[in-house]
Amino acid sequence: MDVDKQNANPTILSLSDLPSRRRGSNLNRRNDGSTGLFDGLIPQYSHLNDPFEQSLSSSDSDDDSVEDIDEQEVFDLISSISDPEHPLSLGSLAVVNLPDIHIQPPSSPHSSISTVLVEVTPTITHCSLATVIGLGVRVRLEQALPPRFRVDVRIKKGTHSTDEAVNKQLGDKERVAAALENGTLMGVLRKMLSTCE
Amino acid sequence: MASPPPASAPRHAPTHTLRALATLTPPSNSRTWQTAPHPSSPIVATACSDRSVRVYSLTSFTLLHSITGGHKRSVRSVSWKPHVRGQDVLATGSFDASAGIWRRAQHRLEREITSSTGVDDDDEDDDDEYQFACILDGHESEIKSLSWSPSGQYLATCSRDKSVWIWEELEEDNFETVAVLQEHDGDVKCVAWHPEEDLLVSASYDDTVRLYREDADDWVQVSCITGHKKTVWWAEFEGSGMAKSDFRGQRDALSEEQERHIEELDKSGPRLATCSDDISIRIWRRKAREGGHGAKDGMPSIIRSAAVDEDWYEEAVLPQAHERPVYSVSWSRRTGMIVSAGSDGKIIVYKERWKASSSAQTESDGTPAGPDADAPLTEWVVVAELFSAHDVFEINHVVWAERADKGKRDGEEVVLSTGDDGEVRVWVLDEQGLEEEKEKEKEKEGAAP
Repeated sequence: MDVDKQNANPTILSLSDLPSRRRGSNLNRRNDGSTGLFDGLIPQYSHLNDPFEQSLSSSDSDDDSVEDIDEQEVFDLISSISDPEHPLSLGSLAVVNLPDIHIQPPSSPHSSISTVLVEVTPTITHCSLATVIGLGVRVRLEQALPPRFRVDVRIKKGTHSTDEAVNKQLGDKERVAAALENGTLMGVLRKMLSTCE
Repeated sequence: MASPPPASAPRHAPTHTLRALATLTPPSNSRTWQTAPHPSSPIVATACSDRSVRVYSLTSFTLLHSITGGHKRSVRSVSWKPHVRGQDVLATGSFDASAGIWRRAQHRLEREITSSTGVDDDDEDDDDEYQFACILDGHESEIKSLSWSPSGQYLATCSRDKSVWIWEELEEDNFETVAVLQEHDGDVKCVAWHPEEDLLVSASYDDTVRLYREDADDWVQVSCITGHKKTVWWAEFEGSGMAKSDFRGQRDALSEEQERHIEELDKSGPRLATCSDDISIRIWRRKAREGGHGAKDGMPSIIRSAAVDEDWYEEAVLPQAHERPVYSVSWSRRTGMIVSAGSDGKIIVYKERWKASSSAQTESDGTPAGPDADAPLTEWVVVAELFSAHDVFEINHVVWAERADKGKRDGEEVVLSTGDDGEVRVWVLDEQGLEEEKEKEKEKEGAAP
């Protein structure tokens, strides 16, 4: 490791290869390809796994603000975040990928809380910046999405040597809150997010 | 071991409703973390992420004081010192790694409460405000929680630095560190004291709960509780002497088995409730130290080599009503009910009751049936479930307090919830259609053989 960058030669995707709103019209709303990683996040309500219940509950909903954000929109919000060590976006580095974004609608008609799960793929398995990247994604979404969204950011399973530890940190509201009061870290995050409009 | 069966429909039959009574005004503009009711006065202190502490009246639901200028980062935790005469003493724990002690003379406060019209001319001078008294330095990173012992002798603090500190106030504003406990492998999220003994509990990011007491001048860990699968956010002991007021209060027509349960529970002393990122809430109970009853229920008596070690075991898991991490849990000191809240924005109230099966059993033949001998005699049921208590925001803390406004009924309590929206909301627990209940009771009796 003779350069200070942890991954000096990352794979870069062309921006035109990234999913965009125009081509992303036929999105699979719920990706049920369970990785096991986010099983624990899914509430124990059996109707959630039933596509018919699912469509019923969303058509029943008369609150028009509830179904207006989809995975593509979330992707658009985070793909433009800059990588902390490359002058490239998380989208072009394939750190964030559309199929790894999952939106869970409210689990009950009494609730208005939706969940966004983003699984990030660090460029290399031991990237110590994984936490910072995850934090950037979480902060970006918490700032940009309406407060009825709960944002869960995790490292995609098997892509990082300490993914469980990083996930635990990213999922800890109190730690995240304290981290955001840290000036140095906030400086890094501000720079990462400066490329988002 | 004695885990109850998973939550089923009958354990989710709300009999109570949480009714909004007030929102403490004005609210904070940013996240509020925790609200501590004063042990004797109708006031509360709220820890705010804007580095301040807000003191509100539970009589008028308005802001009395804003304590600012002390901490450099979020105030995460507040605790009132109990048994102080003539003044109010507040400890504050902050993400700036320090704890602060604040004092205010009490006579002024009383005047404020009696003249609750709010149009008095009391912003005359500074000694009406909370005065900074001293700072407790030592933790290396954010203080997450702090708590005075019931006697007021000790103050416990805990931090992301994985340690728990116990401070003793030798004389006014002279604090000595009597222990630095470094048993945890991760952030310590919460500290709390046993209501009758100098027994401290801490809950952690390492998924464990640990208990400490003093042994030969040294504070030592006396128990490590494992069972939660993720971060344990909060731990709180049951109140003292709850046998008179919770499900145990009604002593008529109990079976021998139930009588014995009450007796043994009394020997165990106040229980412990914990809640976690794993969405569960668990009740832990201490194995009674002495007494011949251990043999009766088939448990071997344990002879301890280390006299201070305590054996805490899981007595129950509350029915799961939350969908996301549970941040806070609180026992009512009046009714023994438990209230919980967390990331899903719900407030849930639970009540313990005798299991119907065991009372039916006694009615039929009076002798406990063999196969059920090990089954728990009581169960926890959800009696109230409130969605979106802080609109779409997360609830960081929930606690019971004495109701103090004009509409209060005798001995009534309120639930205080503290949210990410900067608001502290006040809730009254109303029993749903008492008449309906009586009807149901009648039906039940009619149905019994």
